[in-house]
Amino acid sequence: MDPRSPPGASAGVLLRPRGAAAALVVDGRAAPVALGPAGASGPRSVLAAAGAAARAQGVLLDVVTVDVSAVLLDAVLHGDAAAYPTAAVRIVPRPASDPALGRSPAAAVERLVAQRFTVSGGHDLLGHELCPLDRDQLARLCETLRRGEARHLAIVAAGSQAQPEHERAVADAVQAVLPGCDITAGSEFGGQGLAAREATAVLNSWLRPLARSVVDELEQAVADVLPGTALRVARGDGGHLLPARAAELPAAALGATDAMELRGAAHLAGRDDVRLVLRRRSGAVSGHVRRGLVVVRSAQLPDIGVELVVPTAALAHHPGAADRTEGELAPREDPDLTVCVGAATSRPTSWLDEVAVIGSAAELDRVRSEVERRATAIATANGARPGTAHVVDLSVVAVPYSPSGTVRIRVRVAGEPDTGARPEPARSTR
Amino acid sequence: MSGVDPDGSIRAEDVTALYEGAKFYSPAVGDASRTWLTSWVAELLDRNGPVALVRPEALPPSTTAISLCIIGSGFALADLPPAGDEFALAVERVARLQRTRFEAVYPLAAATVSSFAPVIAAAQLGVPLVDADGMGRTYALIHHTTMHLAGVAPTPLVAQGPTGESVLVDVLTAPRADRVLRANVDTLGGWAALAAYPTTVGTLRHAALTGTMSRLLEVGRVLLGGNDADLLEQRLGAVTGCRRIGRGRITGLEHLSRPTDVTIPTHPSSVVVDEVDGRRRQLRIELRSEVVAVLADGELVAAAPDVVNLVDVSRAELATLDSLEPGDLVDVLVSPAGDLWYSPEALAMVGPHSHGITLDHPGRR
Repeated sequence: MDPRSPPGASAGVLLRPRGAAAALVVDGRAAPVALGPAGASGPRSVLAAAGAAARAQGVLLDVVTVDVSAVLLDAVLHGDAAAYPTAAVRIVPRPASDPALGRSPAAAVERLVAQRFTVSGGHDLLGHELCPLDRDQLARLCETLRRGEARHLAIVAAGSQAQPEHERAVADAVQAVLPGCDITAGSEFGGQGLAAREATAVLNSWLRPLARSVVDELEQAVADVLPGTALRVARGDGGHLLPARAAELPAAALGATDAMELRGAAHLAGRDDVRLVLRRRSGAVSGHVRRGLVVVRSAQLPDIGVELVVPTAALAHHPGAADRTEGELAPREDPDLTVCVGAATSRPTSWLDEVAVIGSAAELDRVRSEVERRATAIATANGARPGTAHVVDLSVVAVPYSPSGTVRIRVRVAGEPDTGARPEPARSTR
Repeated sequence: MSGVDPDGSIRAEDVTALYEGAKFYSPAVGDASRTWLTSWVAELLDRNGPVALVRPEALPPSTTAISLCIIGSGFALADLPPAGDEFALAVERVARLQRTRFEAVYPLAAATVSSFAPVIAAAQLGVPLVDADGMGRTYALIHHTTMHLAGVAPTPLVAQGPTGESVLVDVLTAPRADRVLRANVDTLGGWAALAAYPTTVGTLRHAALTGTMSRLLEVGRVLLGGNDADLLEQRLGAVTGCRRIGRGRITGLEHLSRPTDVTIPTHPSSVVVDEVDGRRRQLRIELRSEVVAVLADGELVAAAPDVVNLVDVSRAELATLDSLEPGDLVDVLVSPAGDLWYSPEALAMVGPHSHGITLDHPGRR
């Protein structure tokens, strides 16, 4: 803990397209932050209010974690799709013969795509090349992009979670003719499924300009009204990451509000392991906090309509509060306050979901250690104090109907927030 | 509840129920393909019209038919979705070889994503879908079918890959087909559209399990209506005959837990579940591509060909085998397979001994 301030002072902020909320957590005790008159809901005024609330309690804020996911999601669903002209490039052995297979199954994603291209190439699940990258098609793609308006590009290749070389070759070629083109590659996120990786890359690419703008505004506001306080951005898995990384990987922030509400509710209940029933307009949903962390999966955000490869809270429809089973908890606090408490108490996290081939128990140990090492490095890059990142969840399951020894490895790592010297943004992802 | 629409067809609005029901009879494959697959097939059925779902007795016995499935890994399918023509091409290549035209298609396995293969082909080729299949669930090898038990050859067969390449297999004995095919499927991208067991509907009347596609729709509708595990399992029991072996928390996942061999894909692994109520037994669930056995405190209580499912209690939905995690609370359900699968000949082929478990099936003790 930073010795310059009393321990445990942190704030959580929920930004919505219209409105905001904030909470202060001091020594584990949470309290809402009064935001003053209507209209005082911009980031600067909310952060200033959080600072004032801290001063009123005689504490300094070590860290403020902001949930921006509602702002991002609102832009995806209702924003001007043409604001950030985005092209999608799919690298597969051959183009779709049925148009339905040539686009995203989610209308919310497809509306962001101004142009689509297919380049022959791709690898299988284990990284073996299925088809050489078609350099002639790539040259034509570059020329078309050069003449067009799209300056945001999402690239996804079959098998890129195992072998990203075709995605990188396309990115390098495009960058050579369009140096300012903003590129997201599916392999930056990893994960299973071409449609899920593509949707995540498209969302990330389209959201980057907005995310950079939001993060810039937050950083400036923190520098002005909360000098010395560390800024963090909430992740969809209930953890947080550094602002610079959130600006580059905004898809990782999607879904944060649900996760933070679960985490906040567990904190307010004083429980590290609890099933929670949350109210939603469409009915009750349930989620789980285990060992102090939200149970997540790479799943579909209801408003997006397609699986993503970034982890989000695993929510299930629930019969309703009246039918609660033993051990479940239905939070009674204001949901926005709960979200803010979740953000204020969040930790830096990382998550990897990979496929590997093992031939022996010793090889499984080696592969597992390697994935753990990389996940730990990413959690540290996301803001964990060096030496504190540790594995909190690990699962290795055999991949059905695959060659013997093929396994799916998922690992989740969390650390303690580093609110002292801020780490440099790293190039690794997730 | 009726499993089939009154006009005997599968329509776009049935696709979600079909997907869920298909998962019940093969919980191995997760949901990584769910959205694009259901979206595509629904659009296909909207565009081309509903697919006629017809029991074998309702078609002339001389009607030529061929089965379809997706062979290979569901993960590979999710990472390299079809271009769209693989299923029709596989059928057409066998037809060209046999100088015939297939007047109907049927599922090799009415379960998992494989159950979509004949629906897609029927929609694209404009032929009826026979409401019968060769497994009534899934087994790992393509000769583990009731057609094989009845003497129908799986070959000539064609595996059409997402790369645009295909493999034609013709072998002397049915068990050789899978061996020859498997390495080629890996080369084709990890999965392929398989057209096999060309035959007639007259043969299917006695060589296949009937009503298995319409059953998927019925089970799927039950699964879509569930938001409470106890109630869901009660309703599933009424439709499928399933019963709960136990409820418990996953405490361990083990790999290479039994000696492996090269004839069956996916290495053996185990899931350990500690019961949270009742007798508080330790359930050991032995996996290959599917659940092959369940032992309770060391006693074999269920085994292939039984269909074993895990239900995620908190979500009141099926837990797929590629998504299990320590700490999950699950119900272990067992359902009987088709009667044909409990004959000595069938048990020798797909029962516990075939997976290296040297115990007799519980039904035979």
